[in-house]
Amino acid sequence: MSDAIQVRNLSKTFKRYPPRKHRTLKEAVLNGEIFRSSTEAKFIEALRDVNFSVPAGTTFGIVGRNGAGKSTLLKILCGIHKPTTGSIAVGGRLALLSLGLGFHGEFSGRENIFINGLVLGLTPRQLRARFDEIVAFAELEEFIDAPMRTYSSGMQMRLAFSVAINIAPDILLVDEILAVGDQAFSRKCIDSLNDFKRRGGTILLVTHDLATVRGWCDQALWLDHGTVTAIGRPEDVLAQYDDSFAEVPATV
Amino acid sequence: MVDKLEAVSDLPPSSWNPSAEPPAPVVTVIQSTQGQVALKLAELWRFRELLFFLVWRDVKVRYKQTLLGASWAILQPLATMIIFTVIFGRLAKLPSDGVPYPVFALAALVPWTFFANALGQATNSLVGSANLITKVYFPRLIIPTASILAGLVDFAISFAFLVCAYIYYGIVPSARVLTLPLFLLLALVFSFGFGFWLSALNVKYRDVRHVVPFITQIGLYATPVAYPSSLLGPKWQLLYAINPMVGVVEGVRWALFGTNTLTLPMIAMSSATALIMFFIGLVYFRSTEREFADLV
Repeated sequence: MSDAIQVRNLSKTFKRYPPRKHRTLKEAVLNGEIFRSSTEAKFIEALRDVNFSVPAGTTFGIVGRNGAGKSTLLKILCGIHKPTTGSIAVGGRLALLSLGLGFHGEFSGRENIFINGLVLGLTPRQLRARFDEIVAFAELEEFIDAPMRTYSSGMQMRLAFSVAINIAPDILLVDEILAVGDQAFSRKCIDSLNDFKRRGGTILLVTHDLATVRGWCDQALWLDHGTVTAIGRPEDVLAQYDDSFAEVPATV
Repeated sequence: MVDKLEAVSDLPPSSWNPSAEPPAPVVTVIQSTQGQVALKLAELWRFRELLFFLVWRDVKVRYKQTLLGASWAILQPLATMIIFTVIFGRLAKLPSDGVPYPVFALAALVPWTFFANALGQATNSLVGSANLITKVYFPRLIIPTASILAGLVDFAISFAFLVCAYIYYGIVPSARVLTLPLFLLLALVFSFGFGFWLSALNVKYRDVRHVVPFITQIGLYATPVAYPSSLLGPKWQLLYAINPMVGVVEGVRWALFGTNTLTLPMIAMSSATALIMFFIGLVYFRSTEREFADLV
């Protein structure tokens, strides 16, 4: 079986400029910093030598505590962040489903559908053909021409999900999304994700909901402080992950 | 250190088949490559539909959200033309190479306004699209490019107004008019280069956008908008033409009015600096864009 995703020796280091995030040109000039190259930058290793591969047509779960590097990994897979070292091979079109997707607050729902579709490689004609379906799935017919900033987080989520699933990617990256939306809509999401799996789609799932990993995933990976702590069958990985919480003494 | 993201297969996006059968997957390799600056123009071409969409959207918003709509494009150069005519034409009695002062100033204000607006829009473009940049991948160069191209609509409207003024003053064009697009291209190349550079710089240093109005204000007087470049002695002309907008403005006047203040060395100097700026802007943008998502 061919691999949908292959990650080899991936590391990512972020630069942090203390003490403020956005520096100004004035400061840089006054401190003479502009003539030196990023001297005081602190380096933070978000991912360290990560290796794994996801066979096409399978579902792969990633678990880990907050700040373990899960979202960074997904963003690198999408090409948003660039790896510091190592490489990634992605076979097929890939859509990231995370809070908000690539939505622009000032753009209407309609315009956001177009931008995201075009970014994911569809032609305008294909998009127009799919447009009604996307809107209907998200149940947003009335609001589709309103600016995105007026949408509730549930509405944004519905639209994000609908765009991602309806543009028919080969690989879906899901970042903690299934919990959002009401019962009826999350039922609909789960149905269409199942449908996506049946059609041979590959899913990479990042979640804190261990039951989902147990029930859905063919393989799981536990990411801790940017390194792969365990990888393999979901039961085994989750057992180890669970144990790591037991080690922390409960302080009540 | 620059990275690359490229499609190994050349399958165009349009090969997507809407039926249930998935297409042959395109393998994308993302890796870190050190020491090269790739301009990735082919990748830019693959995303042209996105570029068109962003330009169209930008134009639509500009005309929908402002009360004055399209008239804004005329009002801006018109108001400055009136002020210049009163102050420099009437009070200071500046010469205008034998051309009626109002149309003399307007011919310069139309390309100048395009350039000044392009810089302002491009500088803010990346920071204004932070949401897109941190959530999806596409060539970042599309964002400042779209904001500059959208300004061409304003330019076209104000240019039509200039043509009206031209006819009103009964000026008869010569065959030189045919060279006009070349000077406009020069303005565009310079706007792109400067705009790319400023937009990338503004991601890193957020106060760059406060510096831009200064640049355009000083630039307005460092460019022969209100006065003819013939006021400067021939000794200074070449040095003066390091500012590419000198070549643009004098070129436009040369093409429209048949003034003879543009010399070959001047236009060569202006073209050279515009091209150098274009190259610097593009390379700086490409070498810093991998950090945009981290910084924006």
